[in-house]
Amino acid sequence: MEPLIDVKASPMECTSLSTSAPIWQDILAQAMTGELLAAMNYASLSEICDDPAEVADALEHAQGERGHAAAFAAEGIKIGVDVPSNVDAKHWKRLRDAFLRCIAERDFIGCLIVQEIMLESFAVASYSRVGKVAPGSLGKTFARIAAEEEDHVDHAMSILRAERALAAQRFDDKVYRLHLEVMTTLAQMLAKECKDGHCEVCHASCVKPRLFDVSLSAAELRGASLRQYLRTLDMLGIPGEVTLSWVTQLPV
Amino acid sequence: MGDSVACVARRGPASEVDFALIGHQESWRAAADVLAVLRGPERTPLPDDEIKDLLPWIPPRAVCHLNVGSIVGAKARGLYIDSFIPPDRLEAAYVHENIARVRGAAACAINTGAKIVSLGGFSSILIEGNFDQLPERHDTAFTTGNTLTVAFIVQGIKKLCALEGRNLQRSTLLIVGATGDVGSGCAHCLAPMVKRVLLSARNVERLRRLAAELQAQGVQVEIATSLQRFSAEADLVICAASLASPSLLLGQIAPGALVCDAGYPKNLSPRAELLGATVFFGGLGQITGGLRFAPDFHGILNRHPFPDVVHGCLLEGMALALEGRFEPFSQGRGSITRERVEEMEAIAARHGICLAPLYNADGPVEDGPHGQTEKQPMQETAGQKWIRE
Repeated sequence: MEPLIDVKASPMECTSLSTSAPIWQDILAQAMTGELLAAMNYASLSEICDDPAEVADALEHAQGERGHAAAFAAEGIKIGVDVPSNVDAKHWKRLRDAFLRCIAERDFIGCLIVQEIMLESFAVASYSRVGKVAPGSLGKTFARIAAEEEDHVDHAMSILRAERALAAQRFDDKVYRLHLEVMTTLAQMLAKECKDGHCEVCHASCVKPRLFDVSLSAAELRGASLRQYLRTLDMLGIPGEVTLSWVTQLPV
Repeated sequence: MGDSVACVARRGPASEVDFALIGHQESWRAAADVLAVLRGPERTPLPDDEIKDLLPWIPPRAVCHLNVGSIVGAKARGLYIDSFIPPDRLEAAYVHENIARVRGAAACAINTGAKIVSLGGFSSILIEGNFDQLPERHDTAFTTGNTLTVAFIVQGIKKLCALEGRNLQRSTLLIVGATGDVGSGCAHCLAPMVKRVLLSARNVERLRRLAAELQAQGVQVEIATSLQRFSAEADLVICAASLASPSLLLGQIAPGALVCDAGYPKNLSPRAELLGATVFFGGLGQITGGLRFAPDFHGILNRHPFPDVVHGCLLEGMALALEGRFEPFSQGRGSITRERVEEMEAIAARHGICLAPLYNADGPVEDGPHGQTEKQPMQETAGQKWIRE
């Protein structure tokens, strides 16, 4: 079995970010876990695709996500920290389970909605924010991966728009059902404080209160993610007043 | 999906939208109430700190549908689109960010296929001199709504003067924010009826131009960029500035003056001590042919002590939609004339859109019956029946 990720960085490249390194370590751990989960999701998706081109596409995406995870791990090495990942951490596991339910139903469209509309909105927005404030190659890597994830979304969007054009209400109902499951979990992850215990990804206590030390905040990452999600839903053509209600009903 | 959301989601195609209203909330309390309705009664309202964290990230979008009826049976369907300008960013420092939000809201309106769009509150102030900054629009007309706002300000002043036995012809009128579209429109309408006019605004060149126009009509005019330059003689005041300034008029007007606060957000503090002045909120109208929100935002999006009261700027879009005149009636700055105001008044009145009962932060300022009791016609109209159903 091939390794999940192939890290290409040597300790020679290490630079010290002194006191902020533990913060970047946790940010990288969340990002790497998300990428590994996405790789697993695309691999699962390839198993329900009938069209060989779609199978190849899904496997290519899976490989791409593993590459992103490796890039994050490499950034960790550069700043002298080990970047752990935990796809079984409670929130991430719930997100994976939601995706696997779509797989079990052989629901290709459902899979795209979960991965491309919901999880990627979160990734694109949060990576972009991190990319703006993270120093050196760390920032560049986050910004580059954010741009690549955005390309994924564009690719899926044409398929999803075509599906919605067939039966808008049925499509919107499906998005809403998945929203309740997936976005509720994401909202809990993105809450300003982790109210239900340790997330099982941060290496020590919750990183959120310390984000201010690297010019970030949990509120900003949540706001940017929800804005990206709303804009993506707009591009699908779901009425803005409907999606606004969905988002305002999420837990905080 | 909540019932109200499902109901909205199953509405007809966007092309059925006749008008769109673009607005924003003027206080965090108002914003909290809007989000509470969207969140639904079964969920606890969002804490204030969460609202302040979340609202700035919400992209401009439709919040609810509206149905409006006319006393002559016409009807129109619309959308309220919020630009989600945070209430604490209604300042000059955020002008570019706010224009971007209004542009986003305008793009939403165009996408819905609305035939006419009214720009409410700060939105019209931002755009009235910058219509070229609106997105490309094909079959969508934009109006600032300022002509009907001016009409209701002027009507309110005349009504209260009549009720209090004040003689307009002996009055000195002060207009704060005189070179804005609303301020200059009020000047054109009221200046010929008063003894003297004092005009205040930040831009001296525009002040000079407006003063010259009025002087050409024989009006006695004085201008100043600071109110301190005027003696405290104004007994009739219109506040139409784009920014709140609670201490704006302290010591600058005659005791017992009549003050119309036509700003959005309000120019004056509710606690402003103005030496026995009578203050009322101007520029408001009332729909007597029926108004329905879906989901139900009654009293939330129109936070007034009387039913179906709405700002004149938004009512202009509804009036034009009921009239079937999908045209940019109010556009640019300084083009509101008495003739245009009278034309808009006639359109609005034809559909039962009239001056709202006058009130201020303490309640009604008129004696006698108020609100729908005196405004509603005796029999239900076709428009009202449609709204009720």
